[in-house]
Amino acid sequence: MQNYIDVFNNPTMMTSIWNTLLFTIGSISIQFVIGFALALFFNLDFTLAKPMRGLLVVAWMIPMTVIALLSKFMLSPSGGIINELLLNLHLIDQPIGWLINNSTALWGVILANSWVGIPFNMILLTTGLSNISKSLYEAAEVDGASSLQKFVYITLPQLRPAILSVVILGFIYTFKVFDLVFVATGGGPVNATELMSTFAYKLSFAQFLFSKGATVANVLFIILFIVSLGYLKLIRKDEVIH
Amino acid sequence: MKKIVLKEKEKNHILCLIAIVVGVIFLFPLYWIVISSLKTDVEIFALTPTFIPHNITFSAYTEQLIGPNNILNSFSNSLLIATISMVLSILLAVPAAYGLARFPMRTTKIFIMLFLVTQMLPVTLILTPMFLIYKNLGILDTYLAPALSDATISIPFVILILRTYFLSLPKELEDSAKIDGCNTFMAFIKIMLPISYPGLIMAAAFSFLFAWGDLAYALTFISTPEARPMTAGIYNFMGKYGTQWNKIMAYGTLLALPVVAIFVVLQKYIVAGLTNGAVKE
Repeated sequence: MQNYIDVFNNPTMMTSIWNTLLFTIGSISIQFVIGFALALFFNLDFTLAKPMRGLLVVAWMIPMTVIALLSKFMLSPSGGIINELLLNLHLIDQPIGWLINNSTALWGVILANSWVGIPFNMILLTTGLSNISKSLYEAAEVDGASSLQKFVYITLPQLRPAILSVVILGFIYTFKVFDLVFVATGGGPVNATELMSTFAYKLSFAQFLFSKGATVANVLFIILFIVSLGYLKLIRKDEVIH
Repeated sequence: MKKIVLKEKEKNHILCLIAIVVGVIFLFPLYWIVISSLKTDVEIFALTPTFIPHNITFSAYTEQLIGPNNILNSFSNSLLIATISMVLSILLAVPAAYGLARFPMRTTKIFIMLFLVTQMLPVTLILTPMFLIYKNLGILDTYLAPALSDATISIPFVILILRTYFLSLPKELEDSAKIDGCNTFMAFIKIMLPISYPGLIMAAAFSFLFAWGDLAYALTFISTPEARPMTAGIYNFMGKYGTQWNKIMAYGTLLALPVVAIFVVLQKYIVAGLTNGAVKE
Protein backbone atom coordinates (compact mmCIF):
# COMPACT_ATOMS: atom_id res chain seq x y z
CA MET A 1 0.00 0.00 0.00
CA GLN A 2 2.89 2.32 0.79
CA ASN A 3 3.83 2.17 -2.89
CA TYR A 4 0.45 3.52 -3.92
CA ILE A 5 0.67 6.34 -1.40
CA ASP A 6 4.19 7.20 -2.56
CA VAL A 7 3.27 7.07 -6.20
CA PHE A 8 0.22 9.27 -5.81
CA ASN A 9 2.25 11.76 -3.79
CA ASN A 10 4.63 12.04 -6.72
CA PRO A 11 3.56 15.11 -8.73
CA THR A 12 4.62 13.41 -11.98
CA MET A 13 1.96 10.75 -11.36
CA MET A 14 -0.85 13.28 -11.54
CA THR A 15 0.70 14.87 -14.62
CA SER A 16 1.00 11.48 -16.29
CA ILE A 17 -2.60 10.51 -15.51
CA TRP A 18 -3.81 13.83 -16.85
CA ASN A 19 -1.61 13.54 -19.96
CA THR A 20 -2.76 9.97 -20.59
CA LEU A 21 -6.38 11.11 -20.42
CA LEU A 22 -5.78 14.07 -22.74
CA PHE A 23 -3.74 11.91 -25.11
CA THR A 24 -6.46 9.27 -25.23
CA ILE A 25 -9.43 11.59 -25.56
CA GLY A 26 -7.62 13.77 -28.12
CA SER A 27 -6.50 10.81 -30.23
CA ILE A 28 -9.85 9.05 -30.09
CA SER A 29 -11.86 12.13 -31.05
CA ILE A 30 -9.64 12.95 -34.00
CA GLN A 31 -9.33 9.42 -35.31
CA PHE A 32 -13.00 8.65 -34.79
CA VAL A 33 -14.29 11.73 -36.62
CA ILE A 34 -11.91 11.35 -39.55
CA GLY A 35 -12.20 7.56 -39.58
CA PHE A 36 -16.00 7.82 -39.60
CA ALA A 37 -15.97 10.36 -42.41
CA LEU A 38 -13.68 8.12 -44.46
CA ALA A 39 -15.81 5.06 -43.71
CA LEU A 40 -18.92 6.87 -44.97
CA PHE A 41 -17.08 8.08 -48.04
CA PHE A 42 -15.58 4.72 -48.96
CA ASN A 43 -18.94 3.08 -48.37
CA LEU A 44 -20.17 4.84 -51.50
CA ASP A 45 -20.24 2.71 -54.57
CA PHE A 46 -17.33 3.52 -56.89
CA THR A 47 -14.50 1.68 -58.61
CA LEU A 48 -11.64 2.69 -56.37
CA ALA A 49 -13.55 2.43 -53.07
CA LYS A 50 -12.25 -0.95 -51.98
CA PRO A 51 -8.63 -0.83 -53.19
CA MET A 52 -8.12 2.71 -51.89
CA ARG A 53 -9.65 1.88 -48.52
CA GLY A 54 -7.42 -1.18 -48.23
CA LEU A 55 -4.38 0.89 -49.07
CA LEU A 56 -5.02 3.33 -46.22
CA VAL A 57 -4.84 0.48 -43.71
CA VAL A 58 -1.11 0.23 -44.32
CA ALA A 59 -0.66 3.18 -41.93
CA TRP A 60 -2.06 1.06 -39.12
CA MET A 61 0.57 -1.62 -39.66
CA ILE A 62 3.68 0.60 -39.69
CA PRO A 63 5.78 0.08 -36.54
CA MET A 64 5.23 2.82 -33.96
CA THR A 65 8.97 3.44 -33.83
CA VAL A 66 8.90 4.50 -37.46
CA ILE A 67 5.91 6.75 -36.80
CA ALA A 68 7.80 8.30 -33.91
CA LEU A 69 10.87 9.01 -36.07
CA LEU A 70 8.70 10.33 -38.84
CA SER A 71 6.76 12.67 -36.59
CA LYS A 72 10.01 13.95 -35.10
CA PHE A 73 11.18 14.72 -38.60
CA MET A 74 7.97 16.16 -40.00
CA LEU A 75 7.19 18.25 -36.93
CA SER A 76 10.73 19.54 -36.54
CA PRO A 77 11.01 23.34 -36.29
CA SER A 78 13.95 23.45 -38.69
CA GLY A 79 13.01 22.09 -42.07
CA GLY A 80 10.00 20.08 -40.84
CA ILE A 81 7.45 19.81 -43.61
CA ILE A 82 4.42 20.52 -41.39
CA ASN A 83 5.85 23.86 -40.32
CA GLU A 84 6.80 24.69 -43.90
CA LEU A 85 3.29 23.99 -45.11
CA LEU A 86 1.68 26.00 -42.34
CA LEU A 87 4.08 28.89 -43.01
CA ASN A 88 3.32 28.81 -46.72
CA LEU A 89 -0.40 28.81 -46.02
CA HIS A 90 0.19 31.80 -43.70
CA LEU A 91 -1.46 29.98 -40.82
CA ILE A 92 1.56 30.61 -38.59
CA ASP A 93 4.23 33.36 -38.60
CA GLN A 94 7.17 31.32 -37.39
CA PRO A 95 7.96 27.62 -37.11
CA ILE A 96 6.55 25.84 -34.08
CA GLY A 97 8.77 23.43 -32.17
CA TRP A 98 5.90 20.95 -31.98
CA LEU A 99 7.60 18.22 -30.01
CA ILE A 100 10.15 20.32 -28.14
CA ASN A 101 7.72 22.95 -26.96
CA ASN A 102 6.01 22.46 -23.63
CA SER A 103 2.60 23.59 -24.78
CA THR A 104 2.46 21.78 -28.12
CA ALA A 105 4.33 18.52 -27.51
CA LEU A 106 1.26 16.61 -26.40
CA TRP A 107 -0.57 17.81 -29.50
CA GLY A 108 2.29 16.59 -31.63
CA VAL A 109 2.10 13.05 -30.31
CA ILE A 110 -1.72 13.09 -30.40
CA LEU A 111 -1.52 14.00 -34.08
CA ALA A 112 0.92 11.19 -34.83
CA ASN A 113 -1.12 8.65 -32.89
CA SER A 114 -4.36 9.71 -34.55
CA TRP A 115 -2.85 9.16 -37.96
CA VAL A 116 -2.18 5.54 -37.06
CA GLY A 117 -5.64 5.08 -35.56
CA ILE A 118 -7.70 6.49 -38.43
CA PRO A 119 -7.55 3.37 -40.65
CA PHE A 120 -8.45 1.14 -37.71
CA ASN A 121 -11.55 3.22 -37.01
CA MET A 122 -12.38 3.40 -40.67
CA ILE A 123 -12.21 -0.34 -41.29
CA LEU A 124 -14.30 -1.30 -38.27
CA LEU A 125 -16.94 1.34 -39.01
CA THR A 126 -17.03 0.23 -42.65
CA THR A 127 -17.89 -3.28 -41.53
CA GLY A 128 -20.62 -1.86 -39.34
CA LEU A 129 -21.98 0.16 -42.26
CA SER A 130 -22.01 -2.81 -44.60
CA ASN A 131 -24.08 -4.77 -42.07
CA ILE A 132 -26.95 -2.27 -42.22
CA SER A 133 -29.72 -3.70 -44.32
CA LYS A 134 -30.32 -1.80 -47.56
CA SER A 135 -34.07 -2.26 -47.22
CA LEU A 136 -34.12 0.17 -44.30
CA TYR A 137 -32.84 2.94 -46.57
CA GLU A 138 -35.23 1.95 -49.33
CA ALA A 139 -38.16 2.13 -46.96
CA ALA A 140 -37.01 5.53 -45.72
CA GLU A 141 -36.72 6.73 -49.29
CA VAL A 142 -40.29 5.70 -49.99
CA ASP A 143 -41.31 7.73 -46.97
CA GLY A 144 -39.44 10.70 -48.43
CA ALA A 145 -36.64 10.98 -45.87
CA SER A 146 -33.74 13.35 -46.56
CA SER A 147 -30.12 12.13 -46.47
CA LEU A 148 -29.61 13.79 -43.13
CA GLN A 149 -32.70 12.11 -41.71
CA LYS A 150 -31.55 8.77 -43.04
CA PHE A 151 -28.16 9.31 -41.38
CA VAL A 152 -29.60 10.33 -38.01
CA TYR A 153 -32.48 7.84 -37.83
CA ILE A 154 -31.01 4.81 -39.57
CA THR A 155 -27.22 4.92 -39.86
CA LEU A 156 -26.37 6.15 -36.38
CA PRO A 157 -28.67 3.88 -34.36
CA GLN A 158 -27.83 0.83 -36.51
CA LEU A 159 -24.15 1.59 -36.12
CA ARG A 160 -24.32 1.93 -32.34
CA PRO A 161 -22.59 -1.39 -31.51
CA ALA A 162 -19.82 -0.75 -34.04
CA ILE A 163 -19.29 2.77 -32.76
CA LEU A 164 -19.10 1.50 -29.19
CA SER A 165 -16.56 -1.15 -30.17
CA VAL A 166 -14.39 1.29 -32.03
CA VAL A 167 -14.36 3.86 -29.26
CA ILE A 168 -13.66 1.39 -26.46
CA LEU A 169 -11.05 -0.60 -28.39
CA GLY A 170 -9.48 2.71 -29.39
CA PHE A 171 -9.48 3.69 -25.74
CA ILE A 172 -7.77 0.44 -24.70
CA TYR A 173 -5.08 0.68 -27.37
CA THR A 174 -4.43 4.39 -26.92
CA PHE A 175 -4.46 4.41 -23.14
CA LYS A 176 -1.45 2.12 -22.98
CA VAL A 177 0.54 3.50 -25.92
CA PHE A 178 4.20 3.35 -25.03
CA ASP A 179 6.63 3.16 -27.95
CA LEU A 180 5.39 6.15 -29.91
CA VAL A 181 5.79 8.62 -27.08
CA PHE A 182 8.90 6.96 -25.69
CA VAL A 183 10.78 7.41 -28.96
CA ALA A 184 9.24 10.67 -30.15
CA THR A 185 9.63 12.72 -26.98
CA GLY A 186 10.73 10.39 -24.21
CA GLY A 187 7.99 11.94 -22.07
CA GLY A 188 9.50 15.39 -22.27
CA PRO A 189 9.89 18.29 -22.49
CA VAL A 190 9.60 18.59 -18.69
CA ASN A 191 7.00 15.80 -18.43
CA ALA A 192 4.76 17.52 -20.99
CA THR A 193 4.11 14.20 -22.72
CA GLU A 194 4.79 11.85 -19.83
CA LEU A 195 2.14 9.14 -20.00
CA MET A 196 1.45 6.54 -17.35
CA SER A 197 3.10 3.92 -19.54
CA THR A 198 6.31 5.87 -20.07
CA PHE A 199 6.37 6.93 -16.43
CA ALA A 200 6.02 3.33 -15.30
CA TYR A 201 8.80 2.25 -17.64
CA LYS A 202 11.14 4.96 -16.42
CA LEU A 203 10.50 4.17 -12.76
CA SER A 204 11.24 0.49 -13.37
CA PHE A 205 14.04 0.49 -15.87
CA ALA A 206 15.75 3.87 -15.54
CA GLN A 207 15.49 4.41 -11.79
CA PHE A 208 15.16 0.70 -10.94
CA LEU A 209 12.23 1.38 -8.62
CA PHE A 210 10.50 -1.79 -9.81
CA SER A 211 7.72 -1.80 -7.23
CA LYS A 212 6.83 1.82 -7.95
CA GLY A 213 6.89 1.19 -11.68
CA ALA A 214 4.60 -1.79 -11.21
CA THR A 215 2.28 0.33 -9.09
CA VAL A 216 1.86 2.88 -11.86
CA ALA A 217 1.30 0.10 -14.41
CA ASN A 218 -1.29 -1.43 -12.09
CA VAL A 219 -3.22 1.82 -11.88
CA LEU A 220 -3.12 1.97 -15.67
CA PHE A 221 -4.44 -1.57 -15.94
CA ILE A 222 -7.19 -1.06 -13.35
CA ILE A 223 -8.54 1.92 -15.28
CA LEU A 224 -8.48 -0.10 -18.51
CA PHE A 225 -10.18 -3.02 -16.84
CA ILE A 226 -13.03 -0.94 -15.44
CA VAL A 227 -13.64 0.65 -18.84
CA SER A 228 -13.67 -2.75 -20.54
CA LEU A 229 -16.10 -4.20 -18.01
CA GLY A 230 -18.46 -1.34 -18.78
CA TYR A 231 -17.99 -2.07 -22.46
CA LEU A 232 -18.78 -5.77 -22.11
CA LYS A 233 -21.91 -4.93 -20.18
CA LEU A 234 -23.06 -2.45 -22.82
CA ILE A 235 -22.28 -4.76 -25.67
CA ARG A 236 -24.14 -7.63 -24.06
CA LYS A 237 -27.14 -5.38 -23.83
CA ASP A 238 -26.83 -4.81 -27.55
CA GLU A 239 -26.63 -8.55 -28.02
CA VAL A 240 -23.87 -8.52 -30.56
CA ILE A 241 -21.89 -11.24 -28.81
CA HIS A 242 -23.08 -14.52 -30.19
CA MET B 1 -31.66 5.84 -70.15
CA LYS B 2 -28.35 6.74 -71.73
CA LYS B 3 -28.18 9.97 -69.79
CA ILE B 4 -28.43 8.22 -66.44
CA VAL B 5 -25.61 5.85 -67.34
CA LEU B 6 -23.40 8.77 -68.25
CA LYS B 7 -24.25 10.48 -64.99
CA GLU B 8 -23.35 7.39 -63.01
CA LYS B 9 -20.05 7.26 -64.85
CA GLU B 10 -19.31 10.89 -64.06
CA LYS B 11 -20.18 10.39 -60.45
CA ASN B 12 -17.85 7.43 -60.37
CA HIS B 13 -15.02 9.50 -61.85
CA ILE B 14 -15.51 12.32 -59.36
CA LEU B 15 -15.60 9.94 -56.41
CA CYS B 16 -12.48 8.14 -57.65
CA LEU B 17 -10.72 11.47 -57.97
CA ILE B 18 -11.64 12.45 -54.40
CA ALA B 19 -10.50 9.04 -53.21
CA ILE B 20 -7.12 9.52 -54.84
CA VAL B 21 -6.73 12.97 -53.29
CA VAL B 22 -7.64 11.57 -49.86
CA GLY B 23 -5.21 8.70 -50.34
CA VAL B 24 -2.38 10.97 -51.42
CA ILE B 25 -2.84 13.28 -48.43
CA PHE B 26 -3.20 10.42 -45.98
CA LEU B 27 -0.24 8.43 -47.23
CA PHE B 28 1.95 11.48 -47.71
CA PRO B 29 4.03 10.72 -44.57
CA LEU B 30 5.06 7.40 -46.09
CA TYR B 31 6.07 9.09 -49.32
CA TRP B 32 7.95 11.68 -47.29
CA ILE B 33 9.99 9.16 -45.33
CA VAL B 34 11.11 7.36 -48.49
CA ILE B 35 11.82 10.50 -50.48
CA SER B 36 13.73 12.13 -47.63
CA SER B 37 15.94 9.09 -47.32
CA LEU B 38 16.99 9.67 -50.92
CA LYS B 39 17.84 13.34 -50.46
CA THR B 40 21.11 14.85 -49.38
CA ASP B 41 21.03 16.47 -45.96
CA VAL B 42 21.65 19.81 -47.63
CA GLU B 43 18.48 19.42 -49.61
CA ILE B 44 16.49 18.36 -46.56
CA PHE B 45 17.40 21.59 -44.81
CA ALA B 46 16.90 23.75 -47.88
CA LEU B 47 14.69 26.78 -47.31
CA THR B 48 11.94 25.56 -49.61
CA PRO B 49 11.23 21.86 -49.21
CA THR B 50 11.40 19.87 -52.43
CA PHE B 51 8.62 17.40 -53.04
CA ILE B 52 10.66 15.63 -55.67
CA PRO B 53 14.36 15.54 -54.86
CA HIS B 54 16.72 17.32 -57.26
CA ASN B 55 19.59 15.00 -56.55
CA ILE B 56 18.65 11.47 -55.73
CA THR B 57 21.35 9.82 -53.68
CA PHE B 58 21.48 6.36 -52.24
CA SER B 59 24.37 7.20 -49.94
CA ALA B 60 22.14 6.99 -46.85
CA TYR B 61 21.48 3.37 -47.78
CA THR B 62 24.87 2.33 -49.04
CA GLU B 63 26.56 3.61 -45.90
CA GLN B 64 24.24 1.53 -43.77
CA LEU B 65 24.13 -1.60 -45.82
CA ILE B 66 27.84 -1.85 -46.48
CA GLY B 67 30.63 -1.08 -44.07
CA PRO B 68 31.51 -1.95 -40.51
CA ASN B 69 28.46 -0.59 -38.65
CA ASN B 70 25.88 -1.82 -41.11
CA ILE B 71 22.34 -2.45 -40.03
CA LEU B 72 21.99 -5.79 -41.78
CA ASN B 73 22.82 -7.38 -38.48
CA SER B 74 19.96 -5.72 -36.58
CA PHE B 75 17.69 -6.30 -39.56
CA SER B 76 18.31 -10.04 -39.38
CA ASN B 77 17.85 -9.91 -35.59
CA SER B 78 14.41 -8.40 -36.16
CA LEU B 79 13.64 -11.03 -38.75
CA LEU B 80 14.67 -13.86 -36.46
CA ILE B 81 12.74 -12.60 -33.43
CA ALA B 82 9.60 -11.99 -35.47
CA THR B 83 9.81 -15.41 -37.11
CA ILE B 84 10.28 -17.29 -33.83
CA SER B 85 7.37 -15.41 -32.33
CA MET B 86 5.20 -16.11 -35.35
CA VAL B 87 5.92 -19.84 -35.37
CA LEU B 88 5.24 -20.08 -31.63
CA SER B 89 1.98 -18.17 -31.93
CA ILE B 90 0.69 -20.29 -34.77
CA LEU B 91 1.64 -23.57 -33.16
CA LEU B 92 -0.07 -22.66 -29.90
CA ALA B 93 -2.93 -20.44 -30.97
CA VAL B 94 -4.35 -22.41 -33.88
CA PRO B 95 -5.24 -25.58 -31.93
CA ALA B 96 -6.47 -23.45 -29.03
CA ALA B 97 -8.72 -21.39 -31.28
CA TYR B 98 -10.04 -24.52 -32.93
CA GLY B 99 -10.74 -26.18 -29.62
CA LEU B 100 -12.60 -23.16 -28.33
CA ALA B 101 -14.65 -22.96 -31.51
CA ARG B 102 -15.53 -26.64 -31.83
CA PHE B 103 -15.86 -27.95 -28.30
CA PRO B 104 -18.03 -25.61 -26.26
CA MET B 105 -17.34 -25.97 -22.57
CA ARG B 106 -18.72 -24.26 -19.57
CA THR B 107 -15.40 -22.48 -19.24
CA THR B 108 -15.24 -21.23 -22.85
CA LYS B 109 -16.65 -17.84 -21.92
CA ILE B 110 -14.16 -17.49 -19.09
CA PHE B 111 -11.27 -18.33 -21.43
CA ILE B 112 -12.42 -15.73 -23.92
CA MET B 113 -12.74 -13.18 -21.16
CA LEU B 114 -9.21 -13.97 -19.98
CA PHE B 115 -7.82 -13.56 -23.47
CA LEU B 116 -9.60 -10.24 -23.77
CA VAL B 117 -8.07 -9.15 -20.48
CA THR B 118 -4.57 -10.02 -21.65
CA GLN B 119 -5.17 -7.73 -24.60
CA MET B 120 -5.58 -4.91 -22.14
CA LEU B 121 -2.44 -5.50 -20.13
CA PRO B 122 -0.04 -2.59 -20.53
CA VAL B 123 3.42 -3.74 -21.66
CA THR B 124 5.06 -1.97 -18.76
CA LEU B 125 3.07 -4.12 -16.34
CA ILE B 126 4.41 -7.43 -17.65
CA LEU B 127 7.95 -6.27 -18.26
CA THR B 128 9.20 -6.68 -14.71
CA PRO B 129 7.81 -10.16 -13.97
CA MET B 130 8.97 -11.37 -17.38
CA PHE B 131 12.38 -9.90 -16.78
CA LEU B 132 12.68 -11.89 -13.57
CA ILE B 133 11.43 -15.11 -15.15
CA TYR B 134 13.85 -14.81 -18.06
CA LYS B 135 16.67 -14.05 -15.69
CA ASN B 136 15.98 -17.27 -13.82
CA LEU B 137 15.67 -19.22 -17.04
CA GLY B 138 18.91 -17.69 -18.23
CA ILE B 139 17.49 -16.56 -21.54
CA LEU B 140 17.92 -12.82 -21.06
CA ASP B 141 19.91 -11.35 -23.91
CA THR B 142 18.84 -14.10 -26.31
CA TYR B 143 16.34 -13.85 -29.17
CA LEU B 144 14.06 -16.14 -27.25
CA ALA B 145 13.24 -13.55 -24.58
CA PRO B 146 11.59 -10.91 -26.80
CA ALA B 147 10.18 -13.60 -29.11
CA LEU B 148 8.38 -15.34 -26.23
CA SER B 149 7.05 -12.04 -24.94
CA ASP B 150 5.85 -10.97 -28.36
CA ALA B 151 4.08 -14.32 -28.65
CA THR B 152 2.24 -13.64 -25.40
CA ILE B 153 0.70 -10.62 -27.09
CA SER B 154 -0.15 -12.23 -30.38
CA ILE B 155 -1.40 -15.59 -29.06
CA PRO B 156 -4.56 -14.25 -27.39
CA PHE B 157 -5.20 -11.94 -30.33
CA VAL B 158 -4.82 -14.76 -32.83
CA ILE B 159 -6.99 -17.09 -30.75
CA LEU B 160 -9.76 -14.52 -30.66
CA ILE B 161 -9.79 -13.83 -34.38
CA LEU B 162 -9.27 -17.43 -35.42
CA ARG B 163 -12.02 -18.69 -33.14
CA THR B 164 -14.59 -16.54 -34.90
CA TYR B 165 -13.05 -17.68 -38.15
CA PHE B 166 -13.35 -21.38 -37.33
CA LEU B 167 -16.92 -20.80 -36.12
CA SER B 168 -17.83 -19.51 -39.56
CA LEU B 169 -16.64 -22.70 -41.30
CA PRO B 170 -19.24 -25.38 -42.02
CA LYS B 171 -19.13 -28.10 -39.39
CA GLU B 172 -20.56 -30.59 -41.89
CA LEU B 173 -17.17 -30.91 -43.55
CA GLU B 174 -15.63 -32.18 -40.36
CA ASP B 175 -18.54 -34.53 -39.76
CA SER B 176 -18.28 -36.06 -43.20
CA ALA B 177 -14.55 -36.55 -42.73
CA LYS B 178 -15.33 -38.46 -39.56
CA ILE B 179 -17.79 -40.66 -41.38
CA ASP B 180 -14.99 -41.43 -43.83
CA GLY B 181 -12.93 -42.68 -40.94
CA CYS B 182 -10.92 -39.70 -39.74
CA ASN B 183 -10.68 -39.03 -36.04
CA THR B 184 -11.14 -35.48 -34.77
CA PHE B 185 -7.46 -34.73 -34.91
CA MET B 186 -7.04 -36.01 -38.46
CA ALA B 187 -10.15 -34.15 -39.58
CA PHE B 188 -8.66 -30.99 -38.13
CA ILE B 189 -5.29 -31.50 -39.87
CA LYS B 190 -6.55 -32.81 -43.19
CA ILE B 191 -9.79 -30.92 -43.73
CA MET B 192 -10.16 -27.92 -41.47
CA LEU B 193 -6.62 -26.55 -41.66
CA PRO B 194 -6.36 -26.54 -45.46
CA ILE B 195 -9.70 -24.80 -45.93
CA SER B 196 -8.94 -22.21 -43.28
CA TYR B 197 -5.75 -21.01 -44.95
CA PRO B 198 -6.96 -17.38 -45.27
CA GLY B 199 -7.37 -17.30 -41.51
CA LEU B 200 -3.98 -18.89 -40.95
CA ILE B 201 -2.23 -16.47 -43.29
CA MET B 202 -3.81 -13.55 -41.51
CA ALA B 203 -2.85 -14.96 -38.11
CA ALA B 204 0.73 -15.49 -39.23
CA ALA B 205 0.92 -12.00 -40.70
CA PHE B 206 -0.40 -10.40 -37.53
CA SER B 207 1.92 -12.24 -35.19
CA PHE B 208 4.92 -11.50 -37.39
CA LEU B 209 4.04 -7.82 -37.59
CA PHE B 210 3.41 -7.49 -33.84
CA ALA B 211 6.85 -8.87 -33.10
CA TRP B 212 8.49 -6.89 -35.86
CA GLY B 213 7.21 -3.60 -34.49
CA ASP B 214 7.83 -4.30 -30.82
CA LEU B 215 10.13 -1.93 -29.01
CA ALA B 216 9.58 -2.35 -25.28
CA TYR B 217 10.44 -6.05 -24.95
CA ALA B 218 13.48 -5.92 -27.19
CA LEU B 219 14.74 -2.83 -25.42
CA THR B 220 14.35 -4.35 -21.97
CA PHE B 221 15.39 -7.95 -22.50
CA ILE B 222 18.32 -7.50 -24.87
CA SER B 223 21.21 -5.39 -23.70
CA THR B 224 23.93 -6.51 -26.11
CA PRO B 225 23.84 -3.97 -28.95
CA GLU B 226 24.74 -6.64 -31.53
CA ALA B 227 21.73 -8.76 -30.60
CA ARG B 228 19.19 -5.94 -30.72
CA PRO B 229 16.52 -5.78 -33.41
CA MET B 230 16.04 -2.63 -35.45
CA THR B 231 13.38 -1.07 -33.23
CA ALA B 232 15.57 -1.24 -30.15
CA GLY B 233 18.69 -0.27 -32.06
CA ILE B 234 17.12 3.05 -32.85
CA TYR B 235 18.80 4.79 -29.94
CA ASN B 236 22.28 3.69 -30.92
CA PHE B 237 21.48 4.84 -34.34
CA MET B 238 20.07 8.24 -33.45
CA GLY B 239 22.90 8.82 -31.04
CA LYS B 240 25.41 8.15 -33.76
CA TYR B 241 23.80 10.19 -36.49
CA GLY B 242 22.13 12.97 -34.51
CA THR B 243 20.11 14.98 -36.97
CA GLN B 244 21.31 13.41 -40.18
CA TRP B 245 17.74 13.00 -41.20
CA ASN B 246 18.38 11.26 -44.49
CA LYS B 247 20.12 8.42 -42.65
CA ILE B 248 17.43 8.25 -39.99
CA MET B 249 14.73 8.21 -42.64
CA ALA B 250 16.58 5.45 -44.50
CA TYR B 251 16.59 3.47 -41.25
CA GLY B 252 12.87 4.08 -40.89
CA THR B 253 12.26 3.04 -44.48
CA LEU B 254 14.10 -0.23 -43.97
CA LEU B 255 12.17 -0.83 -40.76
CA ALA B 256 8.84 -0.20 -42.48
CA LEU B 257 9.72 -1.99 -45.71
CA PRO B 258 8.90 -5.60 -44.70
CA VAL B 259 5.64 -4.40 -43.18
CA VAL B 260 4.59 -2.69 -46.37
CA ALA B 261 5.72 -5.68 -48.44
CA ILE B 262 3.76 -8.13 -46.30
CA PHE B 263 0.79 -5.83 -46.36
CA VAL B 264 0.76 -5.40 -50.11
CA VAL B 265 0.94 -9.15 -50.69
CA LEU B 266 -1.52 -10.19 -47.99
CA GLN B 267 -3.76 -7.14 -47.95
CA LYS B 268 -7.07 -8.90 -48.39
CA TYR B 269 -6.39 -11.40 -45.61
CA ILE B 270 -5.22 -8.73 -43.20
CA VAL B 271 -8.18 -6.43 -43.75
CA ALA B 272 -10.60 -9.33 -43.45
CA GLY B 273 -8.94 -10.49 -40.24
CA LEU B 274 -9.03 -7.07 -38.71
CA THR B 275 -12.74 -6.65 -39.31
CA ASN B 276 -13.53 -10.20 -38.30
CA GLY B 277 -11.72 -10.21 -35.01
CA ALA B 278 -12.47 -6.88 -33.55
CA VAL B 279 -16.16 -6.39 -34.22
CA LYS B 280 -17.58 -9.72 -33.29
CA GLU B 281 -15.90 -10.10 -29.94
